[in-house]
Amino acid sequence: MTTHPIAPAAPPDRRARARRWLASWRHRDTRAAYLFILPWLVGFALLTAGPMIASLVLSFTDYDGIGPTHNVGLDNYRQLFDDPSVATSLLNTLVFTALRVPLSMALALALAMLLLRVGRASGFFRTVFYLPVMTPSVAVGILFLLLFNGNAGVVNKALGLIGVTGPSWTTDSSWVKPGLVLTTLWAVGATVVIYLAALKTVPRELYEASELDGAGRWASFVHVTVPQISGALFFTLIVNTIASLQTFTEAYTAFYGTGNTQTYSSDAALFYVVYLFQQAFQFMHMGYASALSWLLFLVILVITVLQARLSKRFVHYEYEGDPR
Amino acid sequence: MTTTTPVPTTPPPPPPPAHHRAPRGRGPGRRGHAPGRRQAGPIGRALRALALVGASAIFLYPFFWLVSASLKPSESVFDNSLLPGDWRFDNYAEIWDAVPLATWIVNSVTVTLAAAVAVTISSALVAFGFAYFRFPGRNALFGLVIATMMLPAVVLMVPQYLVWNSLHLASSQVPLWAPNLFGSAFYIFLLRQFFLGLPRELFDAARIDGAGWWLMFRRIAVPLCRPALVVTFVFEVQAAWTDLVRPLIYLRDPDLFTVPRGLKTVLDQFGEGGEMRWEIVCAASVVVTVPMIVVFLVCQRQFTSGIATTGRKG
Amino acid sequence: MLTLAACGGVTFADEPDTFTTMGFTAGDALSAVRMELATAALDPLDVQVNQGAFDEQQFLSSVAADDPPDAVRMDRALIGGYAARGALVPLTDCLDDQGVDPADYRAGAIDEATLDGTVFGLPDSYDTRLLLVDQDVLAEAGDGRREVDTSDWDGLARLADDLHTRDGGLLTRIGFDPKIPEFFPLWVEANGGSLISDDGRTARLDSPEVVEALEYTVGLIDAQGGWGRFKSLRDSFDQFGAENQIAQGQIGAYPMEDWYINVLAGASPDVPLGTEPFLGRDGRPINFVSGASWAIPKGSAHPDEACEFITTMTAAESWIEAATAKAGEIRDAGSPYIGDFTGNVEADRVIREEIWEPTGSAAFDEASLLIDAVQDASFSVPANGAGTEFRRAWQSAVNQVLSGDKEPREALEEAQDRAQTALDLAYQGER
Repeated sequence: MTTHPIAPAAPPDRRARARRWLASWRHRDTRAAYLFILPWLVGFALLTAGPMIASLVLSFTDYDGIGPTHNVGLDNYRQLFDDPSVATSLLNTLVFTALRVPLSMALALALAMLLLRVGRASGFFRTVFYLPVMTPSVAVGILFLLLFNGNAGVVNKALGLIGVTGPSWTTDSSWVKPGLVLTTLWAVGATVVIYLAALKTVPRELYEASELDGAGRWASFVHVTVPQISGALFFTLIVNTIASLQTFTEAYTAFYGTGNTQTYSSDAALFYVVYLFQQAFQFMHMGYASALSWLLFLVILVITVLQARLSKRFVHYEYEGDPR
Repeated sequence: MTTTTPVPTTPPPPPPPAHHRAPRGRGPGRRGHAPGRRQAGPIGRALRALALVGASAIFLYPFFWLVSASLKPSESVFDNSLLPGDWRFDNYAEIWDAVPLATWIVNSVTVTLAAAVAVTISSALVAFGFAYFRFPGRNALFGLVIATMMLPAVVLMVPQYLVWNSLHLASSQVPLWAPNLFGSAFYIFLLRQFFLGLPRELFDAARIDGAGWWLMFRRIAVPLCRPALVVTFVFEVQAAWTDLVRPLIYLRDPDLFTVPRGLKTVLDQFGEGGEMRWEIVCAASVVVTVPMIVVFLVCQRQFTSGIATTGRKG
Repeated sequence: MLTLAACGGVTFADEPDTFTTMGFTAGDALSAVRMELATAALDPLDVQVNQGAFDEQQFLSSVAADDPPDAVRMDRALIGGYAARGALVPLTDCLDDQGVDPADYRAGAIDEATLDGTVFGLPDSYDTRLLLVDQDVLAEAGDGRREVDTSDWDGLARLADDLHTRDGGLLTRIGFDPKIPEFFPLWVEANGGSLISDDGRTARLDSPEVVEALEYTVGLIDAQGGWGRFKSLRDSFDQFGAENQIAQGQIGAYPMEDWYINVLAGASPDVPLGTEPFLGRDGRPINFVSGASWAIPKGSAHPDEACEFITTMTAAESWIEAATAKAGEIRDAGSPYIGDFTGNVEADRVIREEIWEPTGSAAFDEASLLIDAVQDASFSVPANGAGTEFRRAWQSAVNQVLSGDKEPREALEEAQDRAQTALDLAYQGER
């Protein structure tokens, strides 16, 4: 009867560790584990690995999707440093992410806590908060332009009521990103739903224990709620960061969509993946776009690893198998 | 599975781990209650109700605007009023008459169900594999799972198309749902987080009772993480139902179109020459959205179940 | 594999007896009737119309997989980019075989789809630009002026200043809207310059005429409150409604595409509309045209049929039959038929002389006649191998100046570098 297939705390003997590692392959748990993750392994080999390698190879070529392809060595990667749009779009994307991720997590957690305490009507409110997620982005894109209009928009009218002259959200370079952040907060319902599911798995007994200990409301939030849902918080931090760094739809529909909006696109809304899309499909520099992708991949990788390292101390798992 | 020992469906509540105890003597007035039962003062309750109603108004706004715009005549779509002065239900009739909407709905339902069911089951299996077992290569492989989310999808579009084309499936609905048979990084990560949150005593107890992995997956992990599985299902229904890019690239035969792909033809048709008829665009958007709201309304009840209720019963 | 295929709802689009198109949507009778005629011309081949506006991802995926549609319809500004990379078939042989003379089409529409003297696209739509004037605004604030003269730039600046109104910090009426960035080529042409050489190989974005055009047009906007307030007011217009900017007196005058006259006719038939040709600084009218064209992708499984198909879609007889049907439908519904401009010279003549009739509304009849009159003065941005990337270069330069991030010369010099690099790269394959 073992619950730990790997013996705990190996001594720093490299050869012994290697032997144990090799031996562990023969363990029946290992076989079971690989059976469980088999679907992903098959899918990765069939559908993902090939295209990923292809994009890496193409990043060293002048592939355009149409004509013959030539090897251009490191030219595409060199161009990344000469192209001013790369720095502009990367900076836009980082600013947007730095604003959006913490704001959306805080708002989602606040709404989820609020929902948890609503009795019978909670189903209704859950649906309400999730509605904007389901509303097609076309509509949200139009609404952004209508509501945030500097002249007649509702947002600036409301600001006018409290004596504030609102900015030109849709044209002023320094206000475009905050406006878009506010718009994307509408879609916070997805994160709310994840937090709700996590909050529902917190055993009540923990709160009761905390109550017995005489902890206040804030204390039990900090010491029970947050650690208990830290797995979900960690997940949303990583996933929302990755998604924000790849923001495409919101900026594209509002500023780069078909027809007239396309021509008004200002550099302030040039997000990295929007630029990547232009290079790949509109300018037909698929090779350069592949190099752009791998730069973004590296940026995301570094940020994710940093986040994972920093969060490690705060994330609590009931069932953590990681021995290192 | 070989074991015949039944696994308790209502496991005993786990004892709270010591390090979770809140420090003593902090917080005002020592009045703590569990959320949901905590009695707030009248001011607190009023504030909470106010926040809830205010937030609801803001979150309801885009959808109300959309429904209202879809019922307006062309010339007043942008008139900033939430009630149409003149109710135009024919905007919907116009879409219904213009296109084979019924066929598209059947296609969409098929593709969406296949996509959502496939991804929920496969991601749960893979996530359980990563959460429950320690095995050589685990961390590296899980890192690879996360890494697949980091490369922008835009650049994989053409190579993936070439893969399906080489299988002679590029003009079919298969590429819309079949990738989900192999799990999806986002849901694998999500479900792994939930599986890791389960009290390990449950699994230890089951093992002592002689339960195999499959049984532990089926009888402990899945039931206790039902809210997360429902979240996965709902998210994927939403994603598959609204996906436009893949149907646009892969589908050529109008008989195979899904609803968003089909409605794009409506939008382009009513937008020819720049004279976009926004009321039709909005009506089409409502047609896409309503079925999802129904799915969400049905599924959201499941969010309330889970370990909290199971634990209390015991 | 076959059973799996059957479950997945597979149909084989590469079946030899199916002819496929991309980028076309059958909307009104004008497009539907022509599609019927072109389909009939290919009989017994089965025509499958993959409806929806042209999409770059859709097209490029199919081309990369060597499985392109048989015929494709796209914005003419994109044709040069695809043609330079070899994604489109030259139409020289096709036009010979079918006995079609490129001169049958409007020169502006053919030029925009002609790379290095080779035609790659036949026009399927044709947008004209003319000046729209709010007569009431002009009468009230125009200081006795009866018309807007775009050839006198100083006078135009004074007019814009006279006509625009402000209320505190807000702009409440635009005096004159130059409609940049999208109409910037019109101002460059008016100033006697061009964005690119006629052969489409040399960008001229930093030439004195272009810099001056940008300085002037941005100056117009700055004098009326600046870009932020200007665009905010423009975005708040009820463009498609009865309370549109002309009916509400929210704008004095601006250049606009001809389709908008149809919108006005439907939404507000009594609007105080005036129309005038847009004049260059030398006093001659100029008409900036654009639109969509049909092309044949390289690798089309049915190149001969594709040629037959696109020549039928764009033939004078097809347009005439389609316009007759459209006019009938509109009149049956009790609305006025304003006319159609097709890019086909003969079709335009027959439509105006035989199908269109005066509607009884002086403003709209004048507009219809004016659109016809300016056709001989039409120009388009020449086709070039950098396609969208070239357009994007000058548009971002204009946007950067509008938002105050850069000075006109600086922005245009950077755009010139970028555009020329893209052009050189696009033509690299030839050498």
